[in-house]
Amino acid sequence: MALKRDFYRALEDILGPQYVSDAPVITETYANPVRHGIAVTPRFEAITLPDSTKQVQAIVKLCNKHEVQYKASSTGWLYSDAARPNCIKIDLRRMNRILEINEKSMYAVVEPYVIGAQLQAECMKRGLNCNLTGAGSNCSALPLAAHVNLGHLSQTGSYGERNQLALEWVTGDGEIVRFGSLGTNDEWFCGDGPGPSLRGIIRGNTMPLGGLGVYTKAAQKLYDWPGPATFPMEGISPKYKPAYIPPGFLVRYFSFKMLDAMIDAVLKIGEAEIATELMCFNAAMMASNLATKNVEEEREIYKKFSDSVQGPGFMVLIAANSTGDFEYKKKVLQAIIDETGGQPLKEVEDPENQGGYIWRYFRETGSIKETGRVLAPQAGMVGGGDSFPLMSYFIRSCSKVKARLIADGSLYDDGASPFIQSIEHGHTGHGEILARVSLRVKDPGKLQRAINAASNEISIKEHFGVPQHIWSDALHDMYGPHACNYHLWLRKIKKTFDPNGASESSTYITAKDE
Amino acid sequence: MSLEEYRSYMETCRRCSTCKFIPLEKVTGYDHVNVCPSITRYEFHSYCGGGRMVMGTALLEKRLDFTDKLLEVVYNCQMCGACDTSCKYSMDMEVIEPINEIRIKCVESGHTNPALDKVINSLRKQGTMVPGTQTKRGEWAAGLNIKDCTKEKVDVIFHVGCLTSLNKDMWKLAKIAAELLKKAGVNFGIAGENENCCGGRAYQMGYKPDFLNQAKNNMDMIKKSCAKTLVTICAECYHAFKVLYDKFDLKGDLEVLHITEYLARLEKEGKLKPKKKVNITVAYHDPCHLGRMSEPYIHWKGKEVLDGIRYHEPPKEYRRGTYGVYEPPRDILKSIPGLKLVEMDRIKEYAWCCGAGGGINETNPEFSMWTVQERIKEAETTGAAAIVTACPWCVKNFNQGISQKESHLKVYDVIELLEKAI
Amino acid sequence: MIEQELLVNIVGTQNVINKQAILDQYASDMSFVSAIKPECIVKPKNRDDIEKIVKLARKTGTPLIPVSSGPPRFRGDTVPSVGGAIIIDLSGMKKIIRVDRLNRVAMFEPGVTFGELIPAVTTEKLRLNIPLLPRSTKSVTGSMLEREPVVLPTYHWDIADPLDCVEIIFGTGDMFRTGAAAGPGTLEEQWAAGGAQVEAAGPSSASWYRIIGGSQGTMGVVTWSSARCEILPRLEEPFLVSSSQLDGIMEMVHWLIRLRIPNECFILNKMSLVAMIAKKWPYEYQEIKASLPDWILFYNLAGYEYFPEERISTHEKDVWEITQRVSLEPARSAGKVSAFDLLKVVQAPSAEPYWKLRYKSACQDVFFITNFQKVGELIDYMYKAADDAGYPVPDLGIYIQPLVQGSNYHVEFNLFYNPESQQEANRVKELAAGVIRPLISRGAFFSRPYGENARDILNKDAATVQALKKVKMMLDPDNVMNPGKLCF
Repeated sequence: MALKRDFYRALEDILGPQYVSDAPVITETYANPVRHGIAVTPRFEAITLPDSTKQVQAIVKLCNKHEVQYKASSTGWLYSDAARPNCIKIDLRRMNRILEINEKSMYAVVEPYVIGAQLQAECMKRGLNCNLTGAGSNCSALPLAAHVNLGHLSQTGSYGERNQLALEWVTGDGEIVRFGSLGTNDEWFCGDGPGPSLRGIIRGNTMPLGGLGVYTKAAQKLYDWPGPATFPMEGISPKYKPAYIPPGFLVRYFSFKMLDAMIDAVLKIGEAEIATELMCFNAAMMASNLATKNVEEEREIYKKFSDSVQGPGFMVLIAANSTGDFEYKKKVLQAIIDETGGQPLKEVEDPENQGGYIWRYFRETGSIKETGRVLAPQAGMVGGGDSFPLMSYFIRSCSKVKARLIADGSLYDDGASPFIQSIEHGHTGHGEILARVSLRVKDPGKLQRAINAASNEISIKEHFGVPQHIWSDALHDMYGPHACNYHLWLRKIKKTFDPNGASESSTYITAKDE
Repeated sequence: MSLEEYRSYMETCRRCSTCKFIPLEKVTGYDHVNVCPSITRYEFHSYCGGGRMVMGTALLEKRLDFTDKLLEVVYNCQMCGACDTSCKYSMDMEVIEPINEIRIKCVESGHTNPALDKVINSLRKQGTMVPGTQTKRGEWAAGLNIKDCTKEKVDVIFHVGCLTSLNKDMWKLAKIAAELLKKAGVNFGIAGENENCCGGRAYQMGYKPDFLNQAKNNMDMIKKSCAKTLVTICAECYHAFKVLYDKFDLKGDLEVLHITEYLARLEKEGKLKPKKKVNITVAYHDPCHLGRMSEPYIHWKGKEVLDGIRYHEPPKEYRRGTYGVYEPPRDILKSIPGLKLVEMDRIKEYAWCCGAGGGINETNPEFSMWTVQERIKEAETTGAAAIVTACPWCVKNFNQGISQKESHLKVYDVIELLEKAI
Repeated sequence: MIEQELLVNIVGTQNVINKQAILDQYASDMSFVSAIKPECIVKPKNRDDIEKIVKLARKTGTPLIPVSSGPPRFRGDTVPSVGGAIIIDLSGMKKIIRVDRLNRVAMFEPGVTFGELIPAVTTEKLRLNIPLLPRSTKSVTGSMLEREPVVLPTYHWDIADPLDCVEIIFGTGDMFRTGAAAGPGTLEEQWAAGGAQVEAAGPSSASWYRIIGGSQGTMGVVTWSSARCEILPRLEEPFLVSSSQLDGIMEMVHWLIRLRIPNECFILNKMSLVAMIAKKWPYEYQEIKASLPDWILFYNLAGYEYFPEERISTHEKDVWEITQRVSLEPARSAGKVSAFDLLKVVQAPSAEPYWKLRYKSACQDVFFITNFQKVGELIDYMYKAADDAGYPVPDLGIYIQPLVQGSNYHVEFNLFYNPESQQEANRVKELAAGVIRPLISRGAFFSRPYGENARDILNKDAATVQALKKVKMMLDPDNVMNPGKLCF
């Protein structure tokens, strides 16, 4: 269904003709970014490239007026695009400025298409660091642009829901709301108030994924960075390694016989506040991070690693403030590992590898490899958030689903060991199962739905909370009654702030009548 | 391999967008993170490596036709390979190869760009891809008493290339190279008016049969000469002989060297000794086809196994830009007394393209100039007095860009500075 | 208006109060809001009671005002803004539901005070992140919902901390549990599975606890809350840093928090410190005040389970590096105030009388949030404004609390005055109202606006007001919950 010409012309008037296109070669690449095993979807009617909040607002208002939907995205890695007829894409690529880095108040303000790598590099020059979305530093630095915005730094650098300060939001129907101090003083340091915090309606422990208007600018907390302003990397892609390991930096990987021992270690490390990063990667992820040649090399390393680990484990990264701080943290780490029976993975501490691990984990450049470097549709399940032990148990239960599917050949065998992460010194946790669908499977989408259904059943029956892959009317309607009918309240938000349903929200919730 | 054979690679794309940026480990600030001129200029996803993967698949599935807009997207790409290198930091797939195949497919099905047709017609008729004729290719060497490799025995063939042979502004590079080789006592020769265009740019433009024709003619000539080594001062020619000819099993045992590789070797052997001071601060620009694109071709014969995930039997090694020619030009520069080398932000395997490649000079000069202006701005931030590079196409584009921008920067080829020091 | 008989049926006769003397206690507070008497006070015992009351209120259009702290109250948010209101007094709901050492969380009803909760969590070797000397009758839930600043800034990851989850009866009469508490399962089932209601965000893509926080009871009635706890130190070493200049102290505070060194950490001027510390008035007060510098930074180093002495000594060395840069010197005392004495004081609620009332029996606070760069400038402005208004500047109390791990700063001015003196009361009232706009224009953000100035503050941001009204319509469409507060 083509757009009406007057609507299209109005878009051209807002943006300039070179920044809007309905040519099939343009719209096709937004609709079907990943092909294998995935059904072809209809395209967006047009792609727009605004460069300012003013232009975004104008597009949103135009869509509301003409009853055309829109879907905004920035770097757009997660496939929540759901291109469809009568819907246009707002590609925020041209909104790519870092607006402010306030070193003393430790926050940064970005537009949606600043990527994590850029913001982090600028922060590091100033002795600061930012949490990056775990999907990688190629993703937007805007915490609201992610699915969740948990990242490697979440042990000490929390995640988007908590790091968010002031923000600017174009609502579903085109109003501009500036949160917190931004609305009152044109300052970015606080996102809450006056009075109740509107941050509560625009995200929870997961995001509306483009289904509730457009976030055009946001401030986020920054953290101290004790490392060098610029990490000295040598080598040629992909064989990079740092020229040296900065003083006070250390990375280790420890595995444990039993999950409970690992949980114990994680909580102890959290309470002792010694780890800068703590991620319970599994052996497959550690191997993929190291491999540079091809997936066959990755498999070899994985085999070696999985023979060397005794069970679930974690990567711990220390970046200390001083020599004394470093010595103290190392001592405490060893004491905890000794108490809990952790076994080190020697390859990680091998000086040849250690620097690379440290840098890749801080800069989150290995996430793409960790989640799959070759052709294989991805699948998985994403837990919610609550206590670290709970999330560990949830993912352990879900990993049995993965194990069954590996056994029957539906999933690639990279082990069923879960991936869990500790947040804010172990106060909360989160877990995921990452998987690659076998190329023999004819309908990967169906398999993913089955995985979701299995994990949802586990979560409901065993009281593991609301997973973060619950999106869409169908899933919210199924889940909501088990969790205080939250879906009805979510629907009210959608109806209130996007009364015309202009923000395409098949990966959020719609305002359909109950 | 045909576009169809690259299908599983194109489908491997996960829309992570790293093809738009320099390798993430190398990002040191806000500026200069973009690596793909095409999407940086035109913004829509279709213009980047990942977008072109989708385009390729869609063409195969006939979801896209060869419309004017599609052709505009196809031909607005310098074929610099930056997307390929950045993608392959993580991924096991091919990017620039299927992008090239899309062009080949366009040409095969008669969907060409008139500006490129003109270039190819010149190749077919005049034997050159720049204005000029084959017969004039040797004029630069008048009076230099350089051996004719088609007539005399030489160890090294000095392949000059179309641009340097036929553009009088570039003759100095050929003359300097010849002079340096002489000084080093190299037994070399040129083909003069019998030199054939390498055909490399024709391949980039999608004219595969024309490229193969050039390649065969060139190899016939080289085989007849019995020379074992070919040296060129043009990065495009270097890439053609070293990589493309090898890809099509035409290169044989010919040793292909860029002039900077060869001169660096001669310096190490003590045959060239830079002694005079050249007091200048320079920033070196890595030509795409000398750097990331010139990594030796890897012949792999095996099968793709789509069982579980896609893997290969035997395991396939990928060309990831790791083994391009990055150090020899730098070694030469560092050997020159008084010269200070500073680096730009985007260098080596993630250098920003000068803008000249992929036929862009002909199809979209404005985009070519836009691209080179970005690079000039970047060079200016280093405080350097000059940009130094190792390819006449880059030199030409930089000169044009600098004069347009009225920048203070000068442009040199590496060998020009070496010559000053010898 | 709800018939009192219906209320009696819900909560019992003894829990419906309409004695004038008692109603008077709720008709006004220590703030300058106009007095309006409620119709009655009702004291529910549990969630069911509250649900029934709210539904009745909705049916009859009766304003409800939830109150969880005992008197004296200070902000005006629990004083009715309209006639015919019923006070839901939750201060009798004092159950401490759970203290979970493993997951560092406590769950409790709204009537639980700091004085009651602190010993309960201490038994489990936990501690709360508490405000600075809350009054003894202050509800922990109330404090968290008000987003009161807390004294452990390195443990203050978010402005809502330490609040985790709540159970609330919305103004619609619907029960809802926020965050991880939403479900699936009852609380007991969640605990059995290992859940602890520590994730505040959610469920899914909304964080209702943020809407409820800062709402001054305008969205619903909270029936319990869970709060993040930290572990109790094994060893503590408190320090005081004195200075006549704020700049160096601010710089030091920035680095202390940035490097995540201290536990308790805040800045006071001499007036606020002496008000907290002095036991005997007026002589001890005068003596202590005279001994103090203008500015005092307090910070506390702590050691936990593993090598506590080493942790402290490492931190001491790191602090020494910081002090070298700012030319300040930590000490065990400032004037006649000992760091250890102050530590004991700040780790508990205020002794009686409440510290803000000791000097002159009344206090009006002006407080806001700002960024690092603006703290000094705003304080300078306030000094001048106070002086211009005839308020004795040496009597102005100042409290600076770094928040959100140093992303912003709570700045609080304590205007002590004698409530018996009409002149003093008027001066303070006018001063407190008069400085708001100038402070805003200089970068003060009144994130928690109270009383009659709230509407003015909110009206600076029309778009936010519109959005808040929309949210209010969702959660309390009949506007029964504390009408007249904020912009509602």
